Amino acid sequence: MKKILLATVSLLMGAGIAGAQAPVPDNLEKLSNFQSTGTTEFTFIDQSGDYADGIKKNLERIKMPDGFKIGLYAVVPDARHMAVGPQGIVTFVGTRKDKVWSVTDRNKDRVADEVKDFAPSLKFSIPNGPCFSKDGFLYIAEQNRVLVYPAAEFFYESPDVAAFNVVKQGELIPPSEESYNHTARVCKIGPDGKIYISLGQPFNVAPADKLELYKEVGIGGMIRLNTDGTGREVYTYGIRNSVGHDFHPVTGELWFTDNQVDGMGDDIPPGEINRQTAAGQHFGHPWYGGGDTRTNEYAGEEVPVDVVMPASATVAHAADLGMEFYEGNMFPSKYKNAIFSAQHGSWNRTTPVGARVMVTFIDDEGNATTEPFAEGWIDENGEYLGRPVDVAELRDGSILVSDDLAGAIYRIWYEGN
Amino acid sequence: MLRAFVIALGGIFLAQGALAEQPAGDAAEGKKRAGMCRTCHGLDGFARIPIAPHIGGEPAPYIEHQLTAFRDGTRTHEMMSVVAKGLDDQAIADLAAWYASQTAHATLPAGAAADSAPEDCVACHGALGLSELEDAPNLAGETVMYLDTQLKAFRTGKRTHDIMSEVAAGLSDEQIRTLAEWYSSIELKIEPAK
Repeated sequence: MKKILLATVSLLMGAGIAGAQAPVPDNLEKLSNFQSTGTTEFTFIDQSGDYADGIKKNLERIKMPDGFKIGLYAVVPDARHMAVGPQGIVTFVGTRKDKVWSVTDRNKDRVADEVKDFAPSLKFSIPNGPCFSKDGFLYIAEQNRVLVYPAAEFFYESPDVAAFNVVKQGELIPPSEESYNHTARVCKIGPDGKIYISLGQPFNVAPADKLELYKEVGIGGMIRLNTDGTGREVYTYGIRNSVGHDFHPVTGELWFTDNQVDGMGDDIPPGEINRQTAAGQHFGHPWYGGGDTRTNEYAGEEVPVDVVMPASATVAHAADLGMEFYEGNMFPSKYKNAIFSAQHGSWNRTTPVGARVMVTFIDDEGNATTEPFAEGWIDENGEYLGRPVDVAELRDGSILVSDDLAGAIYRIWYEGN
Repeated sequence: MLRAFVIALGGIFLAQGALAEQPAGDAAEGKKRAGMCRTCHGLDGFARIPIAPHIGGEPAPYIEHQLTAFRDGTRTHEMMSVVAKGLDDQAIADLAAWYASQTAHATLPAGAAADSAPEDCVACHGALGLSELEDAPNLAGETVMYLDTQLKAFRTGKRTHDIMSEVAAGLSDEQIRTLAEWYSSIELKIEPAK
């Protein structure tokens, strides 16, 4: 069985990622040669008990439109962005720490049976962003590298998985620009088969002396490249810190969230959901702090680029993060091709806002309107009971919502009335 | 090593010199102000997000020094620079008093021995990552990536400190990761102030 898998993977790799055989460090070198590293034990996360019960109790407070239900899908520490495997067996979940989790629902009762760390023999650095290609290659965007894990849905059962460089360590951004701020990278494979990766810029407002470098590298933007690591180009400019993007199922256009400038007051500038209609478009940072609000740092300066304004302006400081277009058949038809997105919640607004799941409807002319879909994670004391991060659709048309404060993944499904 | 320690002693005097100019902090006032900190650092100083350090039970002079540095722009962070801009000396002293009034407890993971602690660090940060100096932070239980990025920031000069800039200058990426993993693996508990 394993032999057949290896052969399959070798074939896939011959087709898919030739050219990704750059020198790789330590374990990665062994894993790239299908050798065992002699490590390592998995860390398993308990899925029952007081902690899980506490989360379930909090979910009783969550309000949604009639007919929708929410339940605990898995306890996953620090859960960030998610990639649902094409086979529908395992979901990979990134963190802003040093682990990636694999979440398995083997008996398909829509509650995870097992949560354990993925590839424990590898050292990850802020592996926030997993994404799958349709043919089952898992990509994970980290602080400063991108690796591909062929047939991850099969290999994850072992501590050693096959792993190869797409962008090797130190080449996603110059190491001198590494940061822990705005470094939760997200990847998705576009309709053109290329991988699109967001690169947040690490400041509140990007300083002028960095702009030239950032423009060249794609920091404060989005890059795209072939899945073998070749053909890198900057696809999007003028982003402050995007932590969620997806492609419209019909038009193929890139849509993305962007977190906007802090310290200008409780009610400005707005958060953003953006629509990109052509390569190379500029979305305004650092001249604009969000929407049409100019930043203090660049006030009065002539804006040297054509700026695309947001398709939807969201409440200030709510922190719009992960998003996904809904393509399933479970929810009522009005949700088809709508965006589900997560608001993480504000961190220093006088009265907290966000910590909810939003839905954005897009009409035939491309006009977008955003409204709350699931809320109730802020309690009567203004404290967070949870902070949603990302939304991902399961094969049955239900959606998963990750929460990095509670350390959980929720599932939302529709039962009707 | 010895050299680092001697410089560290110099650091103590510097920190105390800075302290002399600070107003006395009032922990109860600091607790009221800590509402602006709690989403990230927790009301008791146990961090709620991975990019934020645990500050409960840290020496008050270290907290004051960092908040002052963020306010004055000698240390920068996209969130902390925004928050600290609005703090006066009294507010900083109060916040430092509140967080310092918590008590940090550190426990080694099963199978680890304190004498395996990284020798470059123990004189100031202790084998278990609890501060031995007024101007040194606790490291116990911080995320690997927090410690990793701070050490790299000292190495590149984005963050500066009399002792740490020199210590970090000589460290490779691999050594930094090893140090970070040691202190991150230690379990931190914060006992709330009475």
